[in-house]
Amino acid sequence: MKKFILKIFGILAVIYAALFAVFYYDLDGKFIYYIFEPFMVKRFDNMKREDNLKTPYDMKEDVMKEE
Amino acid sequence: MKILNKAKIVREKMKELFVVEKPENQQEGKKDIKKIARDFWYGKPHEERRLGDLYVGDTGLYKHREWRGFVDTMYYFNMIWLYNYAHMVTDIMKYGGGPVKGVVNFSKGLMRYRWMGQTYLTVMHWFDRGLEGMRGPILRGSAWHYRGMVSETIRQFQEMFASDKKLHGGKESEQWKHNIAHNETVSGSIFYGFHDVLEDIPLEMITYFVTCHVNNHTVLNYIDAAQSIGLPADPCPMCQAEYGLFVLDDYPDFAPTMITSNEACDGSVATSVIQDWFLNRPLFAMPQPMRYDDPLVQEHCQREIEECWKFIEKQYGVPFNWEMYCKYAEEQNKLTAFEHEKWDVAANTPYYPINGVAQALYRIYYSQDGNRPIWHEIDAHVRKIMNKTVKNKIVTLPKTRHRVIAWSCAPLYYSSWCTWAYNCWGLNCVINMDSLMFDQFLRTDTYEHALEDLSWYNEKAPMRAMAVGGHEHILSLWDYMERFKCDMVVMYDQLQCKGMQGIHGVFEDEFRKRDIHAIWVPHALPDKRTVSRKEIRKIISDYMITVMREEPLDPTLLDFEDDSSW
Ligand code: SF4
Repeated sequence: MKKFILKIFGILAVIYAALFAVFYYDLDGKFIYYIFEPFMVKRFDNMKREDNLKTPYDMKEDVMKEE
Repeated sequence: MKILNKAKIVREKMKELFVVEKPENQQEGKKDIKKIARDFWYGKPHEERRLGDLYVGDTGLYKHREWRGFVDTMYYFNMIWLYNYAHMVTDIMKYGGGPVKGVVNFSKGLMRYRWMGQTYLTVMHWFDRGLEGMRGPILRGSAWHYRGMVSETIRQFQEMFASDKKLHGGKESEQWKHNIAHNETVSGSIFYGFHDVLEDIPLEMITYFVTCHVNNHTVLNYIDAAQSIGLPADPCPMCQAEYGLFVLDDYPDFAPTMITSNEACDGSVATSVIQDWFLNRPLFAMPQPMRYDDPLVQEHCQREIEECWKFIEKQYGVPFNWEMYCKYAEEQNKLTAFEHEKWDVAANTPYYPINGVAQALYRIYYSQDGNRPIWHEIDAHVRKIMNKTVKNKIVTLPKTRHRVIAWSCAPLYYSSWCTWAYNCWGLNCVINMDSLMFDQFLRTDTYEHALEDLSWYNEKAPMRAMAVGGHEHILSLWDYMERFKCDMVVMYDQLQCKGMQGIHGVFEDEFRKRDIHAIWVPHALPDKRTVSRKEIRKIISDYMITVMREEPLDPTLLDFEDDSSW
């Protein structure tokens, strides 16, 4: 049991240390900047979009119709 | 040979990303163990920090995050970085209607909208920029403010995604039918009488306004889109960005109606017209008078609010509930009362635990957004910190050389300039114009009083309150300077703000007449291309060197590139 608890603590300590490394060396920022953001920019640049200029401009209907 | 070259490139890249070069005068010599231990535990003294050395080129990334001393670094890691990342996940689940639904809707929104997918994951760098160099209680108090804004942002976009027709195959869900969309400049307080039945969500607060602070790249797409259909480039870029969202079809469709306003100024009228066209659904335009002091406009303004309520009643079949209005107005009054306590500490002591950028953004956010549980939660945390700081007389920004008031409309892409200005020059931005708007309690003793105060509240909205609401308001600067004991002004010069451009000369004259040190900071609100952040820093530094004849506290912050940073 003691061994098991020590093992759990050991694993948590390793995770904690790894997270601290991510934090301290700004690995989260570097990942987003160099990998994630360029990927998303490409995606949004190439996205097909509705041409809202084709929307008619006229009177609108009420949401609740009168009985 | 190829392998060697590759290894060299990798080595160079690693050096660029992770290695902080030592300054020449520290490269040689014996190691002072005592000093190393002291710096490890307490952090380096302000003048030795060399924060500018930590940046990776012009990216704004850090080779490593700042070592603030053991206690503050651990606080930053555990209670800011880890805490906020973890709570972002729980907020996404909480506000998304459960873990699975929340994550699914969030992922859909992330992949669909540029303002989401390109912007908000960089949020911890927003904290980093605003909190650089902060230590002790001011680090904690300011970080809680950021936490409140993040949580409310997640609540809003999760509400939008959950009911967004574009993300759900065009389906008009029950939630969609119970939402009211409104301009970010229509305050949440207007909707208190419907609060428990209908959900009001500002359309541009998350899709435009907050993005500029978190990641200033995104908004440029919307400004350019607005101009791409032949709309003029000279109106306020805030309004351009707001309607650019529609041109690019990047707005979420989460409500059957829309309520717009001419606040802050006439540029917003154009936004309303374009929204009326593109949204193609019932829209109520609720104009607020520009010269709001005129007693003749008060009744008109109150009628406009009542007309808005009638519009909601008609469109949704939900009656205005007076008790509900009172309940939320009174809750909001508690937020305003605490704000006054904060101003009191900021004005009269050096123990204020909130820095300039956190003060400005949190105040504008919650007073525009309206009463929400998160603001009370955050205020409780900040109250604890502030009480302790005052009781123990902890000077929160000990290197303060000048107490600064920032006036007029601020550069959204560089709201953290005041953090830099403190770290580099000891300029402590105690208060700013936008913090002082919405300064109005809402009486609930009679319906007439309630309506009167509510219309005043909305007339005192951001920018309208001072910038374009009549010269007597913008000139209240002198009273606030005295009240907050400021000896310097950072005078924002929004180059596309016609109202403020018109009164530029009056300020020049008054500054000279009153012998006030004022630094004019030109900018174009969300658009960083007109005046870059580097140029803003140079303008401030030039003034500090040539006029004030002062030396920088941290010379590495004098001249650095950050053009590509968020
Ligand atoms: S910055 Fe000036 S032009 Fe732009 S919305 Fe505000 S008051 Fe209007």
